[in-house]
Amino acid sequence: MLEKSYTLLTGASEGLGKALALECAKRGMNLLLVALPQSGLGNLAGFIRKNFPVAVLAFEMDLSDPGSCQQLFEEVNSKGICLQMLINNAGIGGTVLFGESGTEYYEKQIKLNVLATTILTRLFLGNLERNSPSYILNVGSMASFFFLPKKQVYGATKSYIHYFSKSLRKEVRRNGIQVCVLCPGGVNTNLSVTLLNRTGSWLSKQAVLDPEQVAEIAINGLLKGRPVIIPGMINNLFMLLDKLLPEFIKTRITSYGMNQLRPEHHFLELLKKGAAPPVSVGRVA
Amino acid sequence: MKIFITGGTGYLGHSLAMKLVEQGNIIHLLLRNPQSVFAPRHPNILVFKGDINDRSLIERAIAGCNQVYHTAAAAKLWAKHPDEMFSINVDGTSNVLEAARDAGVSRLVFTSTCGVMGPCIREPLTENDPRITGFSIDYELSKKMAEDLVVQYAQKGLHALVVSPPKIYGPGKVSQKHNANAVINGFLKNRIAFIPAPGSYRTCFAFIDDVVNGHLLAMEKGKAGEKYILGGVNISYQEFFALIRKISGNRGYIIQLPKNCVRGWAVLQMLNYCLTGKAPLFSGKAINRFFSNYCFSSEKAVKELGYQVTPVEDALKQTIHYLNEPCYA
Repeated sequence: MLEKSYTLLTGASEGLGKALALECAKRGMNLLLVALPQSGLGNLAGFIRKNFPVAVLAFEMDLSDPGSCQQLFEEVNSKGICLQMLINNAGIGGTVLFGESGTEYYEKQIKLNVLATTILTRLFLGNLERNSPSYILNVGSMASFFFLPKKQVYGATKSYIHYFSKSLRKEVRRNGIQVCVLCPGGVNTNLSVTLLNRTGSWLSKQAVLDPEQVAEIAINGLLKGRPVIIPGMINNLFMLLDKLLPEFIKTRITSYGMNQLRPEHHFLELLKKGAAPPVSVGRVA
Repeated sequence: MKIFITGGTGYLGHSLAMKLVEQGNIIHLLLRNPQSVFAPRHPNILVFKGDINDRSLIERAIAGCNQVYHTAAAAKLWAKHPDEMFSINVDGTSNVLEAARDAGVSRLVFTSTCGVMGPCIREPLTENDPRITGFSIDYELSKKMAEDLVVQYAQKGLHALVVSPPKIYGPGKVSQKHNANAVINGFLKNRIAFIPAPGSYRTCFAFIDDVVNGHLLAMEKGKAGEKYILGGVNISYQEFFALIRKISGNRGYIIQLPKNCVRGWAVLQMLNYCLTGKAPLFSGKAINRFFSNYCFSSEKAVKELGYQVTPVEDALKQTIHYLNEPCYA
């Protein structure tokens, strides 16, 4: 890694983003963190500066706002920052029947998961090329491999990320940029997701990973130049079964798995009492 | 003054109740089992027998009380029925908060745990630092949810706040089997202590008297909706037990267990559980908890509450003296 180069990471304040920020800091990488205002980004930046000998810059903005990506690009340029790694992690999850959410929700989800990733990658491509060897990590999901009820839009945005990453990889590899897509299964990200993960079947509970485990596997894989990273042994077993089993059995299994997740479970009822901030009940899976 | 305390058989709840009753207060104490050897006894302790989720009982117990210390919790690293733990720690807290608000108590102190903040990297954690790991342990997750409830009630006008002690040691009977005292006692009597390898992992040990005083200070001076770490000394396991060896004159062995050994131990415990039904002390998920640094800064409590930390040598002397008394089994 270049001495003065930075890693740009979106959605850094919570869950997997926070874990990726810490994992990068552990490896001595300077950080440029982006997250929503009032999401605790300042505390995280201060914590990393206190504990690791790296430089940390923090930008609070909503990447689904029009023009925010451009604004971020201009700020980075005006500071003359060299990027050697871009991690598109910001995204909105969700486990909900299609008819149960409003159009604004899906609009925001697509804007953040699809549009922000595409635009940021395009804007910073030149910067990354100049500082090669460099890396792009896009956070997808195992949902992009399976067709899951209650994950229609979420899974579709992650399928986009999957296709986009693997396709772009073929273009930019010769310019010294590695593109990698991370496809995690269940991860204990925020409180509501962590609780929802507790309600699944025994096997799906065993497959759930903590964000710090996923982050370590992800950065290792990215630096080794892997095209796709699926963290966790059980998740990889699922992928193997996916190749072996006929379609009609897989449909049964995925429907069963999704029905096992019970958003009406007692744990999640507790959230309504205010035992955790009211984040959308979704899990990054 | 009348004070309501939950969790009276717990190490902290017991010590807190005795301290407050000795100061001339009348204590309303919630106990599931008043016959327990760990239950504090005093003419000015009125016992309310029953469960934290019995709303009408809580209402009766809290009536006429000015202050509430909510120390009751299911504190286990492994639970057969996690729902029970959530029910006691989250629903129970919700119940106490609601009853406190309805009864118009002036102040409530909720006892959480430093475990909610998780492990640290280099510097001791403060109240504002982010948690660096996911919530894989139900106990920590349920206490975090309970903390959020307290903050929410504080925002709605109840003078409620959170105090977070780490591992607590000191004189006094401890009902829990894997408490720091039990480990220290095992070292004194059996001359052997198992610690995670390398022995340089640091953790925070707080002295019971400090933590009890910290509760009183938080009740008196703490700000609503705030959290205060009531810590102690941040010390490596190796140093801690070496200190015990020095003070007690005991020549016990300090054995460093590698992570894989502890993993094996967890598997054996699970096997034993499947065969005999004996609950394991911890599951595989809790192992990372032992092999991490858990250091906490009490600076905020020192500055804002006047919290004081007894020097570890003094505190250990008192503890060892107590544990060596013949009446302590």
